[in-house]
Amino acid sequence: MQIFVLFFFWSTIFSDPSRMVFGYDRGKILTYVFGVMIVKAVVFSARTVDIAGDIAKGDLANYLLKPISYFKYWLTRDLSSKALNLIFAVGETLILFFILKPPFYLQTNPWLILAFILSLVLAILIFFYFLLLCNMVAFWAPEMGWAVQFLLVIIIGEFLSGSFIPLDIFPLGVQKVFYALPFPYLIFFPLQVYLGKISLAFTLSGLLISIAWVLILGFFANFIWRRGLRRFAAEGR
Amino acid sequence: MKELKRYFKYWLLMSRNAFISTVTQRYGMLFFFLGKIIRFFIFVVAILFVLKGTKTIAGYDTNQIIFFFLTFNLIDVVSQFLFREVYRFRPLVVSGGFDLTLVKPINALFRSLMGGADILDMLTIPPLIIAIIIIGQNFNPSFVSSLYYFFLLLNGLLISTAFHIAVLGLGIITMEIDHTVMIYRDLMSLGRFPIDIYKQPLQGIITYLIPVGIMITIPAKAYMGLLSWPVFVGSLMFGIGFFLVALRFWSFALKKYSSASS
Repeated sequence: MQIFVLFFFWSTIFSDPSRMVFGYDRGKILTYVFGVMIVKAVVFSARTVDIAGDIAKGDLANYLLKPISYFKYWLTRDLSSKALNLIFAVGETLILFFILKPPFYLQTNPWLILAFILSLVLAILIFFYFLLLCNMVAFWAPEMGWAVQFLLVIIIGEFLSGSFIPLDIFPLGVQKVFYALPFPYLIFFPLQVYLGKISLAFTLSGLLISIAWVLILGFFANFIWRRGLRRFAAEGR
Repeated sequence: MKELKRYFKYWLLMSRNAFISTVTQRYGMLFFFLGKIIRFFIFVVAILFVLKGTKTIAGYDTNQIIFFFLTFNLIDVVSQFLFREVYRFRPLVVSGGFDLTLVKPINALFRSLMGGADILDMLTIPPLIIAIIIIGQNFNPSFVSSLYYFFLLLNGLLISTAFHIAVLGLGIITMEIDHTVMIYRDLMSLGRFPIDIYKQPLQGIITYLIPVGIMITIPAKAYMGLLSWPVFVGSLMFGIGFFLVALRFWSFALKKYSSASS
């Protein structure tokens, strides 16, 4: 239903097709709305949310005994979940596309499409490590895993990633603060690349910042994981 | 009257138990509470920034759009505060534990619907009411408009009650209550903004078939003095009718309960 709310909300604002607000015309903003639906299905769908439960219930011990990398195992599960979600999201988008008949901005520049795909891959990795870190709270506070995810992922993460409204409607100073965080690189930045709304230099710097976030969050995830394992006592098993 | 007092006592007792259960995880509760508050402010800030650029949406100015949003939140939050137990109904039906509710000398619908008030939602109700009063002052409402608003809010809650009863009934028949209640929440979210932004046939559907418009948009319009009395009367009749149908559906569903797994 959120797609209906956003679609009609922006559709009403851009009822005059020649209107430009916040640097968007009707075609681009409605492409953004539909783009959020697909990109969110790819980036935000993850099975990693279950890790906190595994730690809290002691089930993590089962995985530690197996000759597999725990991080790679969950990344693989995440990717299969994303593939499944992508199929549904594309189906839903096509159905809604035929019902609502929105103007759609089709990107034809192959370099921008390549940069968009690259930014999506980086977004998946950023989200994976971020979610991993949130779940690892359960090593220290077993009952807090879901609460932390609710606050940091569902509330703050979804808003700061631009899945509700594009972040460039905010003043430049606020946008700069947002860009210093990992969240805009999950949804907003890939869609800006697709829409061709940002310069080549900004696209490249955005990709470099995304790589930096992957490395930083990856480093902390490994660090916290090692610390957490020292505390893990497999209670409940 | 005596019966009403008895049930109010039951409700207080069950709510107190639910509260004690919630505070056993006080840090988790704090995070959830913070999350709810932040989500609310995020929406308000987003609406303010959008309206800074667009001035109006569907002919409504900033105060009016915020008022619609506050009215949506009030009905949504009060419903969640009162009917949180609905979210915990499925395991009872699946395990057969609902038998224990049925054998108790207390109305099974009352127990299933209102058996565990949510303290986190209760805490957000007073600030919401204050915000509604402050924003609402901008419209200089007449006494009649205020009265319309009050009764239509109650009507909105009655429809919300009917939805939750229907969800419980469906929970017995299909055992898929988790999904049904989330569909209801999703449908309700259409009322965050005035239903005037939606095009037909969606606007008609969410006015009369899934009466989100009657629950949220119409009360807010009444307060702004944008409503005629026939719409007021029609809305109340619709709400009462919807509630009675939901009660009939509950009685029908209850007869289908098989007590499986008990």
